[in-house]
Amino acid sequence: MNPHTDVPPAPPARPGGRTGTGPTLTVLAGERASGALLCEAGTVYLSEGRVVHAESPVAPGIDVLLTTGGRLTAETWREAVGHTDGPGGVGRFLVDTGRLSDAELEICHLGALFDAAYFALGTGTGPRGFQRDAAHWLGPVRPVGADAVERETRRRGRLLDDLWPCPQVDTAPVVLRSPDPRSPAVTRRQRAVLELADGVRTPADIARCLGRPAFHTLIDIRRLAAAGHVETPRPQATAPPARSPGPGAVVWPDTVPDTVFADPGIDLLRRLRDALEATL
Amino acid sequence: MPGIDECLLEAMTVNGARGAAVIEWTSGLALGMVGEVRDDDPEATAAETAELARMAAEQRAFAAVGADAEQGGDAEGASSVEDVIVTTGTCYHLLRFVDTAFDSGVFFYLWLDRREGNLALARMRLRDLSERLALI
Repeated sequence: MNPHTDVPPAPPARPGGRTGTGPTLTVLAGERASGALLCEAGTVYLSEGRVVHAESPVAPGIDVLLTTGGRLTAETWREAVGHTDGPGGVGRFLVDTGRLSDAELEICHLGALFDAAYFALGTGTGPRGFQRDAAHWLGPVRPVGADAVERETRRRGRLLDDLWPCPQVDTAPVVLRSPDPRSPAVTRRQRAVLELADGVRTPADIARCLGRPAFHTLIDIRRLAAAGHVETPRPQATAPPARSPGPGAVVWPDTVPDTVFADPGIDLLRRLRDALEATL
Repeated sequence: MPGIDECLLEAMTVNGARGAAVIEWTSGLALGMVGEVRDDDPEATAAETAELARMAAEQRAFAAVGADAEQGGDAEGASSVEDVIVTTGTCYHLLRFVDTAFDSGVFFYLWLDRREGNLALARMRLRDLSERLALI
């Protein structure tokens, strides 16, 4: 079977997203290719068709995740990076020298991989090119099937849209607002996010400060926006509008999941009102 | 120092074990899974158990008594909830939070056949395994 005749995977869930010019992850996996798939919002590394790592400027790297929480000191990390020329890479060095357990490395690595893959594959304009045989300095830790990465990326997009279908909150600076007293209580993890919301930091900045995966922070931001704790800005005009709305018109997100309207409770109506006020 | 798979395989040696997984409750992603899966849909199972774990970890009703004095850091965001246990007529479901020193939001999930399994014993085994997941 000629892999190039394959139907490309579903386009990015992001409104306005379009398939890029590079080969798709599915095609490369079918060819058992090794190298770096360069996307607008990140890079996905493949080894013999399996995903071994991913990076995105939006997602904190494994170094940030491990050092911010205090699991490793910055010094230990630098020392490990100095051993990138070893056969197993930085990851193997950390485990072999007793700095991390195998499971810790795997948990942190997989968290970072799926986090960055979501931004690389699920946002932006898709793959731009493929750098054959490029390998990541972390070294192989726990390769994942490309189909699993694609599926998870799509699931994450749906999950965010089910929480609050306004993707503009993902990238805009987080601005606090006074919630309705009946809004759901803020959880401890969300409180940490709110404490860093200064009207300048974006969700990605906050994730980096907290040493948390960026997608986890997006979940909190969407929930906080839905509950009225942070502002939902007017959608950016970057998405090519099918029809141009008149001045003052409410710009609805391209996809509003049916579930939003499945339960027209008073709480939902109140949140809709708040969102409308925020966008008008 | 065991990896995720070694810990999962060891969990499957618990009497009555039918399936085990390591799941991120923050995202609903399964990092590893072995054994049987309800309804043959591992992703739905991971997402559903993650949602239960999230509710337990975040609802104030389940916060440890005295946990309000949390100003002094707790940077890793560890949950004060240790585990969640669901029993049905035929099964036990155990969810054990893994206390990693970085922000992972991971829990260990094990489900057992009720006729063969011993809930108290399984809970202790899962606690030990969760500690081994995160400890050097």
